[in-house]
Amino acid sequence: MATTRSPLKLRRLLAALCLTPTLAGPGAADVADVVQDHALPGYHRLTGATAALAGIDSCAAGPLRSAWNDAFDAWLDVAHLRLGPVEDDGRVLAIAFWPDPKGIGARQMTQLLKDADPAALKPDHVAELSVAVRGLFGMERLLYADPALPDAYACALTHALADDLARMASEIERGWQEGFAAALTSPGPGQRYLNDTETRQALMTALITGIEFNADTRVGRPLGTFDKPRPERAEARASGRSQHNIIRSLTALRAMAHALHGQIPQTDAAFDRAIAQAEGVDLAGLDDPQVWLKAEILGQSIRAIRDAAMAEIAPALQVGVGFNAADGD
Amino acid sequence: MQRRGFLASLAATTMAPRLGWADAGSPSYLAAAQTATGTYELHGLTQTGDSIFRLPLPARGHAATAHPSLPHAVAFARRPGTFALVIDCARGLELARLTPPQGRQLNGHGAFSADGSVLYTSEQVAETSEGRIGLWSVPGYRRLGEIPSHGTGPHEIRRLPMSDDLLVANGGIATDPTDRTKLNIDRMRPNLARVTPGGSLVSLAEPPEGMHQNSTRHLALLPDGNAACALQWEGDPAEAPPLLALWSEGALALCEPPLEEAFTMANYAGSIACNHATRQIAITSPKGGAVQVFGMDGVFQATHRRADVCGIAAASGGFVVTDGNGAISRLDADGLHPMKAHSVQWDNHLIALNAV
Repeated sequence: MATTRSPLKLRRLLAALCLTPTLAGPGAADVADVVQDHALPGYHRLTGATAALAGIDSCAAGPLRSAWNDAFDAWLDVAHLRLGPVEDDGRVLAIAFWPDPKGIGARQMTQLLKDADPAALKPDHVAELSVAVRGLFGMERLLYADPALPDAYACALTHALADDLARMASEIERGWQEGFAAALTSPGPGQRYLNDTETRQALMTALITGIEFNADTRVGRPLGTFDKPRPERAEARASGRSQHNIIRSLTALRAMAHALHGQIPQTDAAFDRAIAQAEGVDLAGLDDPQVWLKAEILGQSIRAIRDAAMAEIAPALQVGVGFNAADGD
Repeated sequence: MQRRGFLASLAATTMAPRLGWADAGSPSYLAAAQTATGTYELHGLTQTGDSIFRLPLPARGHAATAHPSLPHAVAFARRPGTFALVIDCARGLELARLTPPQGRQLNGHGAFSADGSVLYTSEQVAETSEGRIGLWSVPGYRRLGEIPSHGTGPHEIRRLPMSDDLLVANGGIATDPTDRTKLNIDRMRPNLARVTPGGSLVSLAEPPEGMHQNSTRHLALLPDGNAACALQWEGDPAEAPPLLALWSEGALALCEPPLEEAFTMANYAGSIACNHATRQIAITSPKGGAVQVFGMDGVFQATHRRADVCGIAAASGGFVVTDGNGAISRLDADGLHPMKAHSVQWDNHLIALNAV
């Protein structure tokens, strides 16, 4: 460490080693870049896309599906940022309740449609509905039901869930604008984050967890085993988004990685490889051994992104995965 | 047992001068840590998170236990453990270094008998992971023998209040003799065993049907003589089952948080504490970066966020929590607030000395 002593490295070293209040400075440029260039614009787009979805008055499947897909895309651009306002009030799961191995969402949705209680559609009541029937996956059940749901209650519920989604998106954006962005960019004593090391670690953890979610859950759950593939477990299967979600999420994670640290050739190469492979894997076809093998390789390639990021970005930021989180005992 | 206790107290009183925890600065808590230079220490901490003593450890620690009257702390190594260090916290001296007998591994936790005459250590047979409880004399810290833990891969062990019996969290996981590789996840059978000092099984509680992959690992004692247990889920991660269980003589009941909190803890609870005054139980998750608070009745109350939190102990009005970034935080009705930042990484457990 003593051999190369650029001012930047020295600053980071001091930030990493010294947790005393006096060094709580103006915040780290890398964290500010993620906040300004990635998180805030991403959440702004989510607010816009969900508002557009909520603005549709008709029951016609075409426009609703189109706007719902735009909203899902906007969510995937920020879904890995599991910190701050999205963690409050159970919003993460209220926006995207998946995976759901026990089929809670389907069961509760069936009951909700059977009850067809108009009172449940009032905004305050929708917010109190189970997270398993709300959000993007609750709406997918209504918009892509097979056979289609013709009745007026299903349409009214679709509109109510869209309003609920738009409300949550705007609350999250406001939470970032009115406090959480500052908590990340201006850490210090008595604050939520005490210093730059903690804010960098929070973002690095979000990046790594987001990459792992694609490998372990989006690919890993439908992958099952060679003898027993589970294509029915793929995310957003009814709407045919499973493959697209992986590509969209990895693309967003790459943008975040770049905001965190400029020069990341190994991580970039790993992203390129995995995204190119993802474009050739339709998870719906996992019963085909050829597809299964490709999907398994995709999972490995996504884990290779994590390894590259840990080797390339984590040391540059002077952070690792948590001391206790990694210990596990 | 009574005779042994008498001899121990006799030996203690004839030691001159007789020092107690006050001579160690009356710490409220003990915690192991890794320093910025990569060495390991045991710290004595105050209620407000100040470190009043630090003593070197030969390798990474895990948990500790404190003698009820003598200022002796036993610091246990990280699993698979090859040592436990008995430290005189008043003099800053290493009193003894416990090494497990051939073929045994220390599992990171231990407890003293009520009269302080015996130290119990959580151990396993290295080859099979079969659980054992090691017995050591106090204050000489010589091996007296061992009794079965009545399960596989025991982890935390606590002496039950108003009793000489021990409660053992047999996590159920068999591990490779040389590392932590898990060997039996499909067929693991965790339990909480109540065991007499002589090794007899008083009761055995297993997780409910379908929950055999929910490893029972850490314990908090409740004022009514029952206990709470923090769990680690080894099954399908998407199932995200409850991670807190209440133990009442021979039975375990899981405490389910609301559905929207299902994934908050990342299927992993690292430590547990109970505040008898506020009647709350809290479990921590370094993997989820969260603390969940429940009522003593097992009803969920709140989630609080802090990266890499793990160590937790009761404090006035709530809890004190430690994390891998070096902070010591207060957790009460107002939320979680860092009080002190240290340039160390606090290890898994924060041990309250409230019995002193």
